[in-house]
Amino acid sequence: MNIIDAKDIHRTFVTGELSAHILKGVSIKVEKGEYIAIMGKSGAGKSTLMYQLSALDHPTEGTILIDGVDVSTLSESEQTAFRLHTLGYVFQDYALVPDLSARENVMMPLLMRGIAWNSAEQDADTMLDSVGLEHKYSNLPNQLSGGEQQRVAIARALAGEPKILFADEPTANLDSVSGQQVIDLLGKLHKEYNLTIVMVTHEDEYTKDVGRIITMEDGQIVSDKKHTTKKNPTRKTASETIAKTKKKSARKRATRTKKKD
Amino acid sequence: MRSFRIGLLLGIRQIQRASIWATILIIIVMTLTFLNLIAVSGVLVGLLEGAERAVRENALGDIIISPKDAEDHILETGSLIQELGVYPEITHFSVRYSSAGTLEANYKERRNLGAERDTASVSVTGIDTVREDSMTHLSEYIVEGEYLDPNEEGKILLGAYYVSQYAEQYGDVFDSIEDIHPGDTVRLTAGDVSKEFVVKGIVQSKVDDVNLNTYIPEREFRRIFKRYDRNADQIVIRLSDSSSNAPIKASMVASGLAEYAKIQTFEEGLPKFLTDIKNTFDLLGTFIGSIGIVVASITIFIIIFINALSRRRHIGILKAIGIERTAIEIAYVLQAGFYALSGSIVGALLTYTVLIPYFDKYPINFPFSDGILVADPESTFIKFAVLFFITLIAGFLPAWLIVRQNTLNSILGRK
Repeated sequence: MNIIDAKDIHRTFVTGELSAHILKGVSIKVEKGEYIAIMGKSGAGKSTLMYQLSALDHPTEGTILIDGVDVSTLSESEQTAFRLHTLGYVFQDYALVPDLSARENVMMPLLMRGIAWNSAEQDADTMLDSVGLEHKYSNLPNQLSGGEQQRVAIARALAGEPKILFADEPTANLDSVSGQQVIDLLGKLHKEYNLTIVMVTHEDEYTKDVGRIITMEDGQIVSDKKHTTKKNPTRKTASETIAKTKKKSARKRATRTKKKD
Repeated sequence: MRSFRIGLLLGIRQIQRASIWATILIIIVMTLTFLNLIAVSGVLVGLLEGAERAVRENALGDIIISPKDAEDHILETGSLIQELGVYPEITHFSVRYSSAGTLEANYKERRNLGAERDTASVSVTGIDTVREDSMTHLSEYIVEGEYLDPNEEGKILLGAYYVSQYAEQYGDVFDSIEDIHPGDTVRLTAGDVSKEFVVKGIVQSKVDDVNLNTYIPEREFRRIFKRYDRNADQIVIRLSDSSSNAPIKASMVASGLAEYAKIQTFEEGLPKFLTDIKNTFDLLGTFIGSIGIVVASITIFIIIFINALSRRRHIGILKAIGIERTAIEIAYVLQAGFYALSGSIVGALLTYTVLIPYFDKYPINFPFSDGILVADPESTFIKFAVLFFITLIAGFLPAWLIVRQNTLNSILGRK
């Protein structure tokens, strides 16, 4: 089943008398649970394509169906609500709110979905636990390393249990070790959550877990190939994984409380 | 509700994480704006309020009894005074007899009978010196000489504006006599009666009714002005509680005293033009204060605009992850509200705990009034509400301008 179905996408930017035709009739289908990488040189149009697919921009021409909804016809407020309930984002420079702690950053989409404060706090802690930030709930972004900030961003993206996770060059601002950790985390989440991930990257070394690589050049797809990955035979659903992590976190917290006592 | 919850969290955290010095500076600006709004009109109104207070203290008291419109004097003054005894709320009263006369000075030194006489047309008030002093503390306003003793005769008090050395700063506005001091002799003429008086003292007050008056004992007044019926021209009354003057007056009217005289509260006795000037000053003060509000709202607009502009990318990110525009706008409105509220609270504390007590103790010395600061809680609250509301708008507008920008353009920093 296709969770993304984009047909003949064109995107032209017009500034005064100048116009730039960035996407030139791109069509792409993504199946549920796929992990794909969009690659290409700078200016190839990969980020622009991702913005169209992730309902952050409207294409000049063409239609985009995400989970059966034509997002190219949604108003801005409808797009915002759609993104909240369906999509998750990881940006290259983490894009955390600097005034909020790691926990509060993760709580944002949960609160917006109407989850009660205490539950949102618990869920945020669980998500932070799942990305390996057990003891950094109260840290502000500037008290975290780049890799840790990106992991908070991933936790925030996953907090709303999205159907698709979009990652725009998530390793671009990280050193190679942190970059690899983030890529490993995305791979792990893909396997455990059966999450659909669309990642834009220009680095081959970070595509080891990816199932499909789309290469772009001059606003067009020039290759679309399957990529061999090791399949996990015992895949869990996202809710199963969250439930498991919640139990684990609760156990850890109980142990910590006992030790304090 | 969801938006409000997120807006509250974002707003509180932005305030908490902001530079403490920047926050203090903004609160100072808001405090000054609040003070400007309250104090400018407060001092202008206080100028008249101070004058009114002085008139109440030094001249008119809380209730004024004067002749009915068709009469020259208060009828049945003696009975009326007896009636006043039944009101325990009355602490003091003074019965006054008034008329006009001519005061002449330096006539003994005048050698040339063709030369102009040193005279002034004056108001003359006959008083019970003890009652008047306990009512208006007239003796405290003697600037030269002494107050009148009870039972003495042939002595007069002159209001300062009738004496040239006190009136010269006003040019020829007042009709005055030259170079008179306590101990000098003056002649008071009323119709065909003249009598010599020794100047006992000169009184000066912020109240022109005192400065433009001469005081003699009531017995001498009645003789000179041939007022043998003892019907007075004015009775002024002081109450133990000034604010109860309206019900006491009503009670006097109900008991039939209004048959003999016109009974007014102090407020009713004030000339209408004074009330009009007071309202005009209040309006003027509010207008000047409004300029302060405009300046403060522009300041808040700029602060929030710069704040939101510098966080434009984060605003884009928040929208990208599904946070509604309203939540982000609420965060900025909340900040603006916080600045307005904090500034107003500090301003109100300063006004009511420092400025008003200070000006009450050390009034501003205006020529006709001891200026105080007037800020009644009701009008202060209205001004605060206006300031608060305008500040919220000043906070909302820039946030709205930034938040409504295209999400992707905000994230990418594109125009």
